[in-house]
Amino acid sequence: MNITTTEVEGITIAAFEGNLDTNTAPDAEERLGELLEKGVTKILVDFTTLDYISSAGLRVLLVTTKRLGGTGGSMRICGLNETVDEVFEISGFSTIFSVFKSRDEALEGF
Amino acid sequence: MIALGTIQINPDTGFIEARKKLLLIGEQLTGDPIVATRLATAASQFCRVLARESSAPAISLGLGSDRFSQSLVLEFESPEPMSVPATLSGFFDDIETPPPQNNMHVVKVTKNLRGHTNRSDQDIARLRSIVERKGRDELVSELQVRNRELQESFENLQRTTSAKERMQSELNIGRDIQMSMLPVQFPAFPNRKEFDVYATLHPAREVGGDFYDFFLIDEDRFCFCVGDVSGKGVGAALFMALTKTLIKSRASNDFSPASILTHVNDEVGRNNDSCMFVTIWVGILDLKTGILAYTNAGHNPPYIKRANGELVRLDARHGPVVGAMDGMVYGEDDVTVGKGDMALLYTDGVTEAMDPNQHLYDESRLVQVMEARDFSSGQDLVQATVDDVWRFQSDAEQADDITVLAVQFFGQPEAAPVHLLEVKIPNHLDEIDTVNAAFNAFAEEKGLKKRVRRKINLVFDELLNNIVTYAHDDDRDHTIEVKVELSADRLAVTVIDDGKPFNPFLLAAPDTGQSVEEREVGGLGVHLVRNVMDEMSYHRRTDRNVVILIKHLEPSART
Repeated sequence: MNITTTEVEGITIAAFEGNLDTNTAPDAEERLGELLEKGVTKILVDFTTLDYISSAGLRVLLVTTKRLGGTGGSMRICGLNETVDEVFEISGFSTIFSVFKSRDEALEGF
Repeated sequence: MIALGTIQINPDTGFIEARKKLLLIGEQLTGDPIVATRLATAASQFCRVLARESSAPAISLGLGSDRFSQSLVLEFESPEPMSVPATLSGFFDDIETPPPQNNMHVVKVTKNLRGHTNRSDQDIARLRSIVERKGRDELVSELQVRNRELQESFENLQRTTSAKERMQSELNIGRDIQMSMLPVQFPAFPNRKEFDVYATLHPAREVGGDFYDFFLIDEDRFCFCVGDVSGKGVGAALFMALTKTLIKSRASNDFSPASILTHVNDEVGRNNDSCMFVTIWVGILDLKTGILAYTNAGHNPPYIKRANGELVRLDARHGPVVGAMDGMVYGEDDVTVGKGDMALLYTDGVTEAMDPNQHLYDESRLVQVMEARDFSSGQDLVQATVDDVWRFQSDAEQADDITVLAVQFFGQPEAAPVHLLEVKIPNHLDEIDTVNAAFNAFAEEKGLKKRVRRKINLVFDELLNNIVTYAHDDDRDHTIEVKVELSADRLAVTVIDDGKPFNPFLLAAPDTGQSVEEREVGGLGVHLVRNVMDEMSYHRRTDRNVVILIKHLEPSART
C-alpha cells in the first residue's frame, strides 16, 4: 500500500493505493498520525486507487477522525469503489463520515 | 364325565404300576410324551406317598368335558386323610379336596387337555384297557430306568428349550430392529442422474449385526456406509441403531467422514458398558467433483471398479473399531471417481462365508467376481457378488450376515468445471497477503470480476486475522488451510484452523448506527464477512474449526 500526500489550499489530501487491511493498517495509522502531529486539521482521504478495505482499515479511519475531532479538525473521504462503498454501507461508516464521489466534490466547501 | 376305571395301588410296586399306566394314558390322551411324563410324575409321586401311608389307596380316572375342551380327572382315594403334596399343583390345573364320603377321603385333580374335544368310542376303550391292564413286574425295572431317563431328558429339554426360546426370541427381535433400520427402496434416488446405489443384507440365522445406510447430505453430497456390530440380539441391534442414527445426524452438518466417526466414536464409546463395538466404513461422495472422502474404522477395505475395468482396493485404515475407545481422532483419505466407476462395500460375512468343507470364501474370490466382467449397474455387481457367495457356500449354513453395497457414479449431467485453489499458511499475519496474492492470481486466471475478488480479499483478511490473533493460546506454529472452489454459479471459501473452538457467526452484530465517538470496531470484521457473502456455516470437525462461505455468482461475475 502506498499513501501519497499533497496539499491543496490548506487541505491535506492522502491518496491511498492498494489495500487497507490487517497488514497495511498499522502503517496507514502511523502515516495519518504523523499528519496530525504536524498540525494538519483538514484531511481528505482519497480512496480512488484503493482496492479494498477491511475492518482493520476502518479502525484506522475511526481512530484518526476521533483524534482530529479532539483538535477541532475534520476528515472527508472520496473515491470509494463499489466494494469499499459497500463496506462503508454495511459498517454504517457512510453515515458517520463525510463521503464524496470525487476529489473535486470533496474539496468543495471543505 | 366318562369313567375310565380305577387303579389300585399296592404297597410295594403299586406306585410304579400306576405311573406306567398314567404315562400310557397321558400319551394316549395328548400324543405328547412330555405332558404324559409330567402327568405320570406328578401323580406317581403322590401315589408313592399313598402307598406308604394309606391302607388302601386307589386312583379313579375319568374324562370330563365342556364345550371347548376335555379334561383328565384323577381322584386319589384313601380311607385315611391325605395331605396334598405341592407337586400336584405344579402340573394339574385344579385340585379339590371334597368332604369325605363313606369314610373315603378324596383328592380330586383335573388337567385340562387343550385342543382335544372328541374321543371316539375306540379311544375310550383303549384308555380303559390301559387302566385295567395287569402289571408286569419284569417291565417294572426297565420302566423305572426309562422313566428316569425320560424325566431327566425332559427336564433338560425344558431347561434348554426355555433358554433357547428366550435367546431365539431375543435374536428375532434384534433381527427385526436391524432389518427395519435399513433403506430398502430401490432405485433409492430415481431423480438423481449423477449416481446410483444398491445394497442388500442377508441376515444369518443367529450371529450378525450388519448394517448399511445411504442418504444425501445436501444437493451435492452423498453419504454411504457399511458397518458390522459385534455381538447379536437386541443389544447389538440397539447398538447398531444408535450408531447408524448418530452417523446420520452428525453427517447432516458435517461433511468429513473422519470428523463424523470421531464424534460418533466419542458418543458411542463414552458410556459403552456393554463393550460392544462396530466396524464402519463411511464415504462421502461429492457429486460435483467425484471426490470420494472416506474413513475406515476397522472395516473390510472396499473396492473401486473403474469404468475401464481397473480394480482399486481402498486400503487406507484410519483408526480402530468404533466404540472401543473414546477420544480417538480418525483420519480420512479421498479418491476421485470418474464417470461409470463403482464402489463396492461389503462385510466380513462375504469373505468369511464357508463352503461345506469349512473353506473360507476369501477376498481373492471376490476380486475374481469383480474382474470377471463389466457390470451394467450397482445392482448387477451386488447380485453377482451375492450369487457367487451362495454358489460357494452351497448347502453349508450361512454363518454371518452378508451385506453388499455398490455405488455407481455417473458424473454431473453437464459437468460444470470446478476450479480449485488450496493454500496452506502458517499462523502469521503476514501470511494473509500470501493467501490474497494466490487468490488474486486465481481470480485473474478464471476471469473473476474485481468486485467479487475484492470481497473475497476482505473475507480472507477478516477471518485470517481473527484466527491468527485469537485461535491459539500457545506460541507454537499452526497451519491454516484455505480452499476456494469456483464453479459456474458460485464461489465457495473454506477456512480451516486447529485453534480452540470458535464460531464467529455467533458474535453479535455491532451497532452500526452509533456516532463516531461511540463507535468501536470490535466485531465489525465478522459483520462485514456475513454481509458480503451469501451463505456461511461453521462446523467443529474433529479438532478443527471449519468456516465455509459461499458467494453466489450471477453470470456477469466472470468475464
